[in-house]
Amino acid sequence: METESSLPPTRLLALDGQHALVESARRGDPSAHRALYDAHVDRVYRLTYRLSGREDMARDLTQDTFVRAFAGLDGYRGDCAFGTWLHTIAVSVTLNELKRRKRQRAREAPLDEALTIARTGPSHDPLLRDRLMDAVNALPEGCRAVFLMHDSEGLTHDEIGAALGISAGTSKAQLSRARAKLRIALAGYEQEWKS
Amino acid sequence: MIDDARDRFETVYDFGDPDVQAVPPADPAFEAWLRRAAPSLNAPGTTPVETIWAGIHAAQRSAAAAATDRITGVRPLRRTRWVMPVTIAATLLVGVALDRFVIVQSGLRSASSPTVVARRAEPAPTVDSTARSDLYRLAAVQTLTQAEALLTAYRAGGAGTRNDAAARQLGGWAREVLGSTRLLIDSPAGSDAQLRPLLNDIELVLVQIVRLSGTPLDSTDRALIDRALRDRDLLPRIRTAVPAGAADATIASDD
Repeated sequence: METESSLPPTRLLALDGQHALVESARRGDPSAHRALYDAHVDRVYRLTYRLSGREDMARDLTQDTFVRAFAGLDGYRGDCAFGTWLHTIAVSVTLNELKRRKRQRAREAPLDEALTIARTGPSHDPLLRDRLMDAVNALPEGCRAVFLMHDSEGLTHDEIGAALGISAGTSKAQLSRARAKLRIALAGYEQEWKS
Repeated sequence: MIDDARDRFETVYDFGDPDVQAVPPADPAFEAWLRRAAPSLNAPGTTPVETIWAGIHAAQRSAAAAATDRITGVRPLRRTRWVMPVTIAATLLVGVALDRFVIVQSGLRSASSPTVVARRAEPAPTVDSTARSDLYRLAAVQTLTQAEALLTAYRAGGAGTRNDAAARQLGGWAREVLGSTRLLIDSPAGSDAQLRPLLNDIELVLVQIVRLSGTPLDSTDRALIDRALRDRDLLPRIRTAVPAGAADATIASDD
């Protein structure tokens, strides 16, 4: 876990700056809101995009993340980096929205779902990358989030653990599990990924 | 600290069954390929910084406006407390009056000439019936517009509905819109097969908001209302039902 005392002086200064900005934002300073937004929007957007896979959803989810964060600044106690706190909100907002859409799809479009499942068969999808995406989408949501956050987005296990509320060790274990499940799912393509 | 709460969310996010035996030993070739392929999965493009900021800014403005009883583009309800119900009631009364007038007129015509009865059965709408349906449509648009503004303010409200004044404010507003909605349900507009289910759903959510008014909404209250909103897909349905520009026209006609 990242602690302030273990950080280099430049990083500590940056964190001090963030805390000052958060304080100003709490007092309702719009320029502080904008500064915090500018500092973090890219990473939040990238994360929501990775998890949702859709530009329009990523845009809405990023917006929702910041609206919730700014409305709930009093709940940020400063015991972790502001960016980590934002990631926690972004992951929660995104996974809840994905769950909601999944439930809605299950309720409203059983035919579409059946077609999606049918399309995942190797004979219908010769592209290994598409098959990989299907396999990633079939992972349990927490496992999938860990995989995309680590292997696709490059977050550390400490950052992932903080965002998902799990330990770094659990994050590592889930990543191994995700990779193993993907390997099983892509077993039919072994020649291709070994070449 | 987050360390203290370590793993407390493992039950919140689904990590699948902890079936350790299903995990085969790592294959370096596969993992190397995966590391190369993973960055291209759901790879985001350029962040639409200003578009997102505009959305955040609008949501913050709506929340602030709701907290001070003022929604952009909608007249303050405190100053127009009775205007909306009275307008809708008047619209409905005019509609009913027109309806009766048409029936009486057609009765007179049918008494003097039997061929009029046959003409009345034709689907071509008379000027009176068109005017009447326009009035009901106007009343429906006004109510739906108010419901949309209220629900948007509620959703954007967040912290705004956590204090007494804001909760009372929202409850009072919801009560007024609820009254209009019920009037509309009981009017001929409520017999519209597409409109009625929407009005019933709006009524249900408004009843929840009204029931919880007077006290700051805690997370459970909000979750209940949020769920009702989401499950019924209410805001998108209202937006679909209100023709583009109709809300502006309605608001302009109020002024």
